[in-house]
Amino acid sequence: MAYGAQVDPCDKCEELLQPYLDRELSDAERAEAELHLDGCSYCRKRYHFEENLRQFVRQATVEEMPPDLKQKLAELRTSLF
Amino acid sequence: MGETTPEADPRKLAEEARDRVRFEEEALDLADQVYRVARRLVSTREEAEDLMQETYARAFRAWRSYTPGTNLRAWLLRILTNLNIDRGRKVQRSPDLQPLEEGDYYLYNRLEEAGREPSADQDRVDERLSQDDVVAALSAVPHDFRDVVVLVDIGDFSYADAAQILEIPIGTVMSRLHRGRRILKRELADEAVQSA
Repeated sequence: MAYGAQVDPCDKCEELLQPYLDRELSDAERAEAELHLDGCSYCRKRYHFEENLRQFVRQATVEEMPPDLKQKLAELRTSLF
Repeated sequence: MGETTPEADPRKLAEEARDRVRFEEEALDLADQVYRVARRLVSTREEAEDLMQETYARAFRAWRSYTPGTNLRAWLLRILTNLNIDRGRKVQRSPDLQPLEEGDYYLYNRLEEAGREPSADQDRVDERLSQDDVVAALSAVPHDFRDVVVLVDIGDFSYADAAQILEIPIGTVMSRLHRGRRILKRELADEAVQSA
């Protein structure tokens, strides 16, 4: 096994969750996480949930720029000439 | 960019004007994306608008210090985050580092305990949480942690980009992100379980 004798595989998988979803793991760490996820529905469900949560947080916090702000920013540019 | 004096050379003057216009157009094209991040770094729309205007005014003045071909969105947000701190927000040099009990699976586990296990075919988070819940929960995350969460999760910046923007080590980005997300999930769990 890739895991140390003292480390619970699910604890290790939880530790890899954030950088895994951020695409910041090394190839070896990614393979380690995916090997565990393939056989562990406990972690797989939580990874899937976290992925949905990330998307939801991103969508829920979007607030479009007020339409007149871009014009105000553009005016900052022209006033410098 | 060098310290040449283009006034002396019409060709250089024209080149400089062209470079400047290109910079300004590219910066304005990114305004929507910069605003989305700015809006979540501050509490109100008015603050976000002021911060955007200060940022763009400074960026237009300092356009020569931008290196073409590098990440302009990150460059603009570096100005913006610095201005935001200058506007009165004190940097927490030693943010609260007490250990959090909540792990990364905390929100899922709380929902499960409350009898609302997100099942395989019905795991949509938005069925349990409203948009307002998320905005309120994010606002409850302390600034230093929130900045990193906003840059990575909303701005879609890499850890390295976030480190550059905030001028902190990448290890600090990772630890603040980790903690910030856990605090966010704790807040969301309270909302989700209360509304159960």
